[in-house]
Amino acid sequence: MTKRRNWFCGSDEHRISRRGFLGTAAATAGSMSALNLLREPVLADQLKKQDKRVILLWLAGGASQLETWDPKPGRATGGPFAAIPTCVPGIHISELMPKMAQRLDNTAIIRSLNTKDGSHDGGARMMHLGRRDEATVKFPDLGSVLARELGQADSKVPDNVSFYTATEGRGNAVGQAGFLGARYMPMSLTTNSKPDDLSRLESISDLDHQQRHELRELLSNKFIEYRHSGSLRSHNEAYARVRGLMSSDKLFDISDEPESVRQRYGPSLFAEQCLIARRLVEAGTPFVKVSRAWWDSHGQNFETHLELVSELDHVMSTLLDDLKERGMLENTMVITLSEFGRTPKINASLGRDHFASAWSCSLSGCGIKGGSVYGETDDDGQTVKDGEMDAGDLFATIYEALGIDPHTEYYLGSRPIPLVHEDASAVTDVLA
Amino acid sequence: MTADPNKLKSIKEISRPDILFAVAALSEAEIFVGSSDFKVHRLNTQEEKAEPSELTGHTSYVTGLELVGDQLVSAAYDGKLKWWDLEKQTEIRSIDAHAKWIRRTERSHDGKSLATVSDDMVCRVWDTANGKCLHELKGHQAITPNHFPSMLYCCAFSHDDRFLATADRIGHVVVWDLKSGKEVTSIETPEMYTWDPKARIHSIGGVRSLAFSPDGKQLVVGGMGHVGNIDHLGGKSRIEIFAWEKGERLHELIDDSYKGLTERLVFHPSGKWFIAAGGDNAGFVKCIDATTGETIKDSKAATHVHDVRLADEPGSLVTVGHGKIVLWQL
Repeated sequence: MTKRRNWFCGSDEHRISRRGFLGTAAATAGSMSALNLLREPVLADQLKKQDKRVILLWLAGGASQLETWDPKPGRATGGPFAAIPTCVPGIHISELMPKMAQRLDNTAIIRSLNTKDGSHDGGARMMHLGRRDEATVKFPDLGSVLARELGQADSKVPDNVSFYTATEGRGNAVGQAGFLGARYMPMSLTTNSKPDDLSRLESISDLDHQQRHELRELLSNKFIEYRHSGSLRSHNEAYARVRGLMSSDKLFDISDEPESVRQRYGPSLFAEQCLIARRLVEAGTPFVKVSRAWWDSHGQNFETHLELVSELDHVMSTLLDDLKERGMLENTMVITLSEFGRTPKINASLGRDHFASAWSCSLSGCGIKGGSVYGETDDDGQTVKDGEMDAGDLFATIYEALGIDPHTEYYLGSRPIPLVHEDASAVTDVLA
Repeated sequence: MTADPNKLKSIKEISRPDILFAVAALSEAEIFVGSSDFKVHRLNTQEEKAEPSELTGHTSYVTGLELVGDQLVSAAYDGKLKWWDLEKQTEIRSIDAHAKWIRRTERSHDGKSLATVSDDMVCRVWDTANGKCLHELKGHQAITPNHFPSMLYCCAFSHDDRFLATADRIGHVVVWDLKSGKEVTSIETPEMYTWDPKARIHSIGGVRSLAFSPDGKQLVVGGMGHVGNIDHLGGKSRIEIFAWEKGERLHELIDDSYKGLTERLVFHPSGKWFIAAGGDNAGFVKCIDATTGETIKDSKAATHVHDVRLADEPGSLVTVGHGKIVLWQL
């Protein structure tokens, strides 16, 4: 299996966009940055109107590939769980995922990540950014890029939302908009599933609030009129969106959902937040990260995964079903990703430790060739045997599946910065 | 010579490539071990050159071994219970005993029955002669209060075989009357279960070991105390001693020296003391005074201990665990 560089996914839908981008780029080369190209109304709208969305299920702490997507039953490293067949002949996953096994036709499994960083903080940054920050450049993370590329400027819903309620590892997974500016930072929910202080105070009428907003805008515009500060503009843009965001607070309230839907997702916090994620993407939010911490099973790995994979299997399969039934799965990608996987070797506490050399993730829905497996690890899961991918390759694949050219360049001053590092390329085998 | 807890010391270690979850002793030298390689291994601990043999047929970790007459019964995470002819080294009978992992087996003191506990949250009592199910004991919740699958870890017969105790992940202990098949009483040991609602939002722990005193009055419960960081087996090993019929907790043994799960509890026939063994990454073996709850003698073990067998005469103990078999003298 060889990794093939891909410039577009091959679908008619994406081909139109690609040609449009290239044509316009050729006509404007040297005079307009790619960042500006994406703002060119016709092309930007073409992509944005496709309503592509992403829900990232961030499995913080490092989920075990051996107890999820890449089981090794019968091997010394395999652990006690069996592998079960899926609805796709020839593909087996852990017995802890019986529901996903029946829904694998919408999901591609990648079993060949080698991301080389086995630390929580470094690994998490890598898998959020698709590369490492440079000394002088802070890169935007996946959520910020997708908010930028897929979000509507006049949207009344937030375009980048992040749930991370557990406290462990939260600092490793904070949003980073980098050079894109604070406009694309996530709305970050850490204390509960509903934004704090989003509701208008009862003591202020809607008219009062509108007039206050207009006054603040007037003063602010005068202040920045002769100043050239990105952060001032980001600040102003953020305020400009406040009223829209305030009207979106109902999206975070799942009591609006029928009881049957809430019961279907289940009673856990992760389930609740995945249901909110569905509500958000349905309303137009292009990127939602739902973090499920904490998978760091140095002791009692099998018990921990019995708890957490059982929950993941139920919630993820419900989410995919829900999106499919609403006709949204075609345009919504669901990703499972961690900062790394876990060691094949089982330690004396029946735990598994950090392992970034040969691990797995999954991509479902939008632009993805369901029922596929890419990459292979050796019999014991110690090394990648075929199809090695790094974080940049994964990000290129995600962008490509969403119809975004991963080699699109932003400009930071005069320096072109592609969406992914220059050696990265998409894996066509998992693209629809 | 009977076992003297003050003389506890390890006398031999045998390294293994696998994880050993269960041990049954045929003689002082000859043992069976249940392994993470899905096999039962028969080996001689005194003559390492002796050819080991193996019994194959399980499809997951072998977690329970009991000798019944001239047969061996094995249980595994594959949910199966298998009877083996020791002379012919062949499988006699295989039963789909449980829908999920069998965590532990215990033979009754008269050898006529065998109890199994499983993550299907059912305890079944089997006739060792023919494999028939004698009792099906259901009283543990399948789901924890925090909506995760629970686990039924251990069981123990009283010495008159009338009562059977079972215990689960959240620290719920049930004592059953095997004449009626009904629940007699229950005991809560919530300190054995750590639910972390804030930092990591999952759990660790559970009651991992049980033992009735020979006079039937005490029930000893083993596990691990509350843990700050549930990524590791970092809690203090914990034992609670109950006058179970009164529902009274007599002693609460929290060990500052040894961390991790108390995986096994075995009473000395005198009833004066018992052995507790387990660990985190490292292991421990302790001899504890059953009256006072004081540790008589303890020792580090080379690695986490999963199972023990005590032979009162000639005062020997064998422990098995992560990559090690250790022989002890008492």
